[in-house]
Amino acid sequence: MRHPMSRGLLAAFVFAGAVAVTAAGPIGPARADETCQSPYLPKITGQEEFLYVWTLGMEGVGDQSDKLVTIDVRPGSATYGKVIAKVSVGGRHEAHHAGFTDDRRFFWAGGLDDSMIFIFDVHSDPSRPKLVKTIDTFVKDSGGVVGPHTFYALPGRMMITGLSNANDHGGKSALVEYTNDGLFVATHWVPDGKDMRGATGNGADGYNYDVRVLPRKNVMLSSSFTGWSNYMMDFGKMLADEAAMKRFGQTVTLWNLHTRQPRKVFTVPGAPLEIRWAWGPNHNYAFTTAALTSKLWLIYEDDAGQWQAKAVADIGDPAKIPLPVDISISSDDRHLWIDTFMDGTARLFDISDPHNPKEVYQKKIGAQLNMVSQSWDGKRLYFTSSLLANWDKQGNDNEQFLKAYTWDGKQLTHKFTVDFRKENLGRSHIMRFGARSLYSG
Amino acid sequence: MTGLSNRRARIGRLLAFLLTLAAAMAIASAAANGADDHDRRAVARIAAPPLGLPPVPVPADNPVTAEKVALGRKLFMDRRLSRNSTMSCAMCHIPEQGFTNNELKTPVGVEGRSLRRNAPTILNVAYARAMFHDARDDFLETQVFGPLLARVEMANPSVGAVLATIRGLDDYAGLFERAFGGPANAHTLGQALATYQRTVLAANTPFDRWYYGGDQDAISPRAAAGFELFTGKAGCSACHLVGEESALFTDHGLHDTGVGYARETASDESVMVEIAPGVSVPVARAVIRSVGLPPEKDLGRLEVTDDPDDLYKYRTPSLRNVALTAPYMHDGSLQTLTDVVRFYDRGGVPHDGLDPLIEPLGLRDDEVAALVAFLESLTGEAIDDLIADARSVGVGG
Ligand code: HEC
Ligand code: HEC
Repeated sequence: MRHPMSRGLLAAFVFAGAVAVTAAGPIGPARADETCQSPYLPKITGQEEFLYVWTLGMEGVGDQSDKLVTIDVRPGSATYGKVIAKVSVGGRHEAHHAGFTDDRRFFWAGGLDDSMIFIFDVHSDPSRPKLVKTIDTFVKDSGGVVGPHTFYALPGRMMITGLSNANDHGGKSALVEYTNDGLFVATHWVPDGKDMRGATGNGADGYNYDVRVLPRKNVMLSSSFTGWSNYMMDFGKMLADEAAMKRFGQTVTLWNLHTRQPRKVFTVPGAPLEIRWAWGPNHNYAFTTAALTSKLWLIYEDDAGQWQAKAVADIGDPAKIPLPVDISISSDDRHLWIDTFMDGTARLFDISDPHNPKEVYQKKIGAQLNMVSQSWDGKRLYFTSSLLANWDKQGNDNEQFLKAYTWDGKQLTHKFTVDFRKENLGRSHIMRFGARSLYSG
Repeated sequence: MTGLSNRRARIGRLLAFLLTLAAAMAIASAAANGADDHDRRAVARIAAPPLGLPPVPVPADNPVTAEKVALGRKLFMDRRLSRNSTMSCAMCHIPEQGFTNNELKTPVGVEGRSLRRNAPTILNVAYARAMFHDARDDFLETQVFGPLLARVEMANPSVGAVLATIRGLDDYAGLFERAFGGPANAHTLGQALATYQRTVLAANTPFDRWYYGGDQDAISPRAAAGFELFTGKAGCSACHLVGEESALFTDHGLHDTGVGYARETASDESVMVEIAPGVSVPVARAVIRSVGLPPEKDLGRLEVTDDPDDLYKYRTPSLRNVALTAPYMHDGSLQTLTDVVRFYDRGGVPHDGLDPLIEPLGLRDDEVAALVAFLESLTGEAIDDLIADARSVGVGG
């Protein structure tokens, strides 16, 4: 067998190390970053300093507009745990996910409703992101893709997953590629029932959600959620709509990273959402969780070099639909945090045997829970509450927060909470880390 | 059958004449104004509707022209006509989904806001004497302001705002002038949209070719048995009328079949939710309520008339193309045609206001299947042409 670590990853490691050495200045050892980013991103060399929270405008709260909220997380800072900046983009666009360009100088944030993309400069002053560009031609550029979701950095490129389309607001969609400068490059449609686009597998649905790559194996994975009609719909109305419930993704697609050609479509029922590749140089596998069926899935390369998918654990009691949402893998590939929305609980799985994950810890964080981000050393975790504007809970359970915790290997200890309703901000969604050290070396 | 074939010959001659006339008119006007093939065929459909449909009622002050069809189609497909450029008429009346939405019981509008009723098809809407499930509007020309202004649909703040949007779009420059001799206003906006919708005709179905066209083999024996039941033992044609020369399968009336009553009085503790193909779990109502707004009530025709006798009365829909327009009933509560036939077989939902024409039918399984086969024989030919026609313009932005 060939040595599993190819040149590409080696280069990535060397590169990351170089940054660490040159920028390790005053903040301390080069050991911190969130663990769920593109391998092409430079690492933060020390404690993360700022959290960028892409926040949905909420009717009746503040200016009711989507905004990027910056929170100071520098221990010892006078404004630790406080909002230090916010940039309102005007209007509600169903703010959802966001990601850095591969140079980590710009932060792209999408609106799932009207497909707007907002680009923030996060390098000029990492404590005060600036809105520098708006792309309002995503649908037109892409040939009818709606709902820019994941923003994933590839070299010089932004790979964006769409969730829907402009013909029927259903789930048929595509991956859309832009240059870092915001120029459209290409649209890659997800294989569907009519056209497998050369991929193998037991049928496809054309649905889309997350995208992640494993460069040393030249593979890219995409998952599948649902179209605009469902993700924009009142959650209660949807659960009671038999026709709508038939419109969820049941597939994970394996692509050739370099050619962007789909290779194999796996059947993964119940809306597989976030994808996380393991980091280890011999770890040729990724995890995803199926939201509706509450199952943890492993996508892995078997001994014969074939890619396979299998369900490896239940998450909570699937009969109660706990709705696993965001997940976060530890940098040593030994642990996976899984948030379940309905019971507001963070669950830690031991994944050291990826074929036999076991839940080892859980803690209720709030009435509802969606996103989780952890530092590279796994010692700090941050949680937010909002899933989608019309899926969040009603009434008092509609808590909107960012909560910070530390993890000592045994338990989560609460550090601070920012109440996004009291602060007139809105519904808190994806978090990304920032630090001045990234740009000083 | 002689009566039938005489009639056919008569209709045939009339059609041929109208067709030639229409084609001549269309070509003349098209040559002048750049209307395309789709527009010409649409005008021809109005002049000579496909077999099984009666003449198309067209208001005297809004004759059909190729220019109006082209403009109306463009407006119908254009997402920029909604407050945030996400919703067009076609987002709820989707061409590929029978000009309705097969993926939702009831649609969602701007920002995902909930609608409480199923979207009716636009196919053959030209013949609707009253619009909406509760028959609250009577002209296609005026109906359009409902969706354009409804907060839950396209959410425009005013008619003026819609007109300003259109004036601001370069690709509409001159189109209203060409079609109506003047700029866009509320009147011509309604007329353009109505004109396009009027041309979305689909018939010459296997049933039509069998019943009106005399082609014995056009439908299966099972579908023919279904028609016997439809007009006989099952009593369907008392409300879904079948005429001598044409059929719209509706009495244009309103009836209480029990669908509305059943929904408003439902008290089940849980709902079965399909979490993966073939896998369903019960979800407590309390859980569903925790993640959604309370559903809006729907009292049917009573909301329009305030007459207690109109409680839960809804319009009899046409059954043409019904195989393409699932889910069914005003709230989309029945998913398949078999569900619908079984619903009638049970006698609807018995309660005080139930229409006396609805009663248990005692159908055997093969009779249920026959009725379904008959309903499936009502799909018009050339649906693909109507889809291509709709998709001949962009979706705007
Ligand atoms: C958000 C979804 C939605 C949009 C957008 C929408 N409609 Fe509808 N449409 C519906 C629903 C639902 C009904 C039935 C409402 C009722 O009965 O109360 C309906 C009814 C109609 C009817 C009446 C049909 C009949 O048989 O009674 C027509 C005609 C129509 N719409 C045309 C349009 C046009 C033209 C537009 C664009 C200007 C449009 N619709 C936009 C959902 C929509
Ligand atoms: C008393 C009059 C009446 C009779 C008799 C009747 N229907 Fe209906 N039908 C209606 C009305 C009214 C509706 C609409 C109900 C609603 O929207 O809730 C309807 C709806 C339907 C629909 C759904 C159409 C759609 O687009 O949603 C089908 C299919 C149908 N009927 C078939 C039948 C068949 C088959 C029979 C005979 C077994 C039958 N009907 C007998 C009045 C009647």
